[in-house]
Amino acid sequence: MILEVDDVTRRFGALTALNRVSFAVDAGQIFSVIGPNGAGKSTLFNVVSGLFAPSAGRVRFRGHDITGLPPERVNRLGLAKTFQITSLFPEISVLDNVRIAAQSRAPESGRVSSLWRRPDVDATAGALLEAFGLTARRDAHARDLSHGEQRYLEICVALATNPTLLLLDEPTAGMTPGETRDATALIRKVVLERALTLLLIEHDMSVVMGISDRVAVLHFGEKIAEGTPDAIRSDPRVIEAYLGGGDD
Amino acid sequence: MKSVGWRALLVFAVLALVPLVPGMSRYYLLLAFDALLFGAIAMSLDLLMGYTGLVSFGHAAFYGLGAYATAIVMERGVLSIWVCVAFALLVVGLYALVVSYFATARRGIYFALLTLIFAEVVYTVFRYTQAFGGSDGIQGLPDATLLPGVAIDTPLRKYYLVLAYLAVAYVVCRVIVTSHFGRVLVAIRENEDRARFLGYNVQRYKMGACMVSALLTGLGGAIYPMRSAFATPDLMLWTESGEFIISVMIGGLGTLVGPVIGGAFFTILRDKVSSVVDWYFIVIGGVLIVIVLFMPRGLLGLRRLFARRTGGAAA
Repeated sequence: MILEVDDVTRRFGALTALNRVSFAVDAGQIFSVIGPNGAGKSTLFNVVSGLFAPSAGRVRFRGHDITGLPPERVNRLGLAKTFQITSLFPEISVLDNVRIAAQSRAPESGRVSSLWRRPDVDATAGALLEAFGLTARRDAHARDLSHGEQRYLEICVALATNPTLLLLDEPTAGMTPGETRDATALIRKVVLERALTLLLIEHDMSVVMGISDRVAVLHFGEKIAEGTPDAIRSDPRVIEAYLGGGDD
Repeated sequence: MKSVGWRALLVFAVLALVPLVPGMSRYYLLLAFDALLFGAIAMSLDLLMGYTGLVSFGHAAFYGLGAYATAIVMERGVLSIWVCVAFALLVVGLYALVVSYFATARRGIYFALLTLIFAEVVYTVFRYTQAFGGSDGIQGLPDATLLPGVAIDTPLRKYYLVLAYLAVAYVVCRVIVTSHFGRVLVAIRENEDRARFLGYNVQRYKMGACMVSALLTGLGGAIYPMRSAFATPDLMLWTESGEFIISVMIGGLGTLVGPVIGGAFFTILRDKVSSVVDWYFIVIGGVLIVIVLFMPRGLLGLRRLFARRTGGAAA
């Protein structure tokens, strides 16, 4: 078991965004969290990755209790995330975006010698850009990329920190159905090649059903179902949540 | 130093020859001192403003504390520049450690306000208590000595002192912005949250940038009494901090060289206009408005009109 979310509750004032959510992700799994808009999916990611401390409950990652640790500490334990709304370094080049991420793992990082040295991570950065088809765009500013390219760069940046667990928050948001298919296939390929564990948030059922080993469904902050994609597809509570919510 | 480059060496060579310009008087050498001092301080501030994306409204306190540190040492009869500078770095460093610890815990306008409030407290202590001479400050200081018997007593020697300071500040800033540390600062400017999720302890990097910027500014403060023979509380006034910020803006954020030009331009403009009219700030204000409106990238942005090169600012 690589990630264990144990009875996590998160309140924002009177709103309970997550209510006693528990699940566990095994190493090498592709685990998806689905649910209508406002179900608490992004809040769950923010609790796991360290942006918010949970109001109650624990989060364990690779044997460490990471409940309430800040994002930089969680990331250094091997957990990287992407953002639902693209979050890059817009005014620097594509290559530098990936470099800055990879350099955080260089031995010089955080030492006094980083004041005058610059670790060489071009091999790592180049390989990642190649894998996501961004090599030709390496010198462009991140802000000048197309939406689809930015979504890929977002994943490259997260992968450059060499995580064991990757959290992708709606990686195909804003893509056309064709782009979504390509992106899903690519993500699956990269995850397998690097033997990563993937925790995926999706809103688009077609993406999830194709690649997940296991799926959990959130609805109004509560986990209403968990199982294999086939079991989820036929679960009456899930159908109710998606159809009854009138959303999606 | 590969990262400093031959163009910088050329500029320093030209600056070193400035005293040979025909008609170079005592007055112009001291004006050149002020211009380069202001420029180097603006460059130090650019490390924070242009690279890290933090606007400090309290750099006058680092500057003023550096000046007072020198004045206090010299008042006690110790004239060695090395002792003065070491004491100034110690004093400014301790103060900057406290300010940067608290200020970097907050973002944006709160960072700016915290730096301002700390600086105003320092100003008030120096201005309204008699511990360091009150509003008169410390006056009538002798000339500092480089080595026993070698006094920095002529405008020419003072000019080379400020040039040495500019060189030190430039090399430090240039090496830092091209280093790994400097790239992380740019990443923080661009997207602080993303940098945290990549494993960077953002507050520590911000504190580091504040410390370097503050120490370089304090070093500039430390040599000022060696030219003026005094340290007064006015050096710590918030308007002084404002003038540093204006100089960075005039010159061009995130360029290092731009703020040096901006600071020098500002100093010379103020000197020239104020010697003609009393209401010189109206004239300077007008010039600044024109620059901000029509040259949002500052004076250094003009080079874009001549060269197609882009970049400069970022990593």
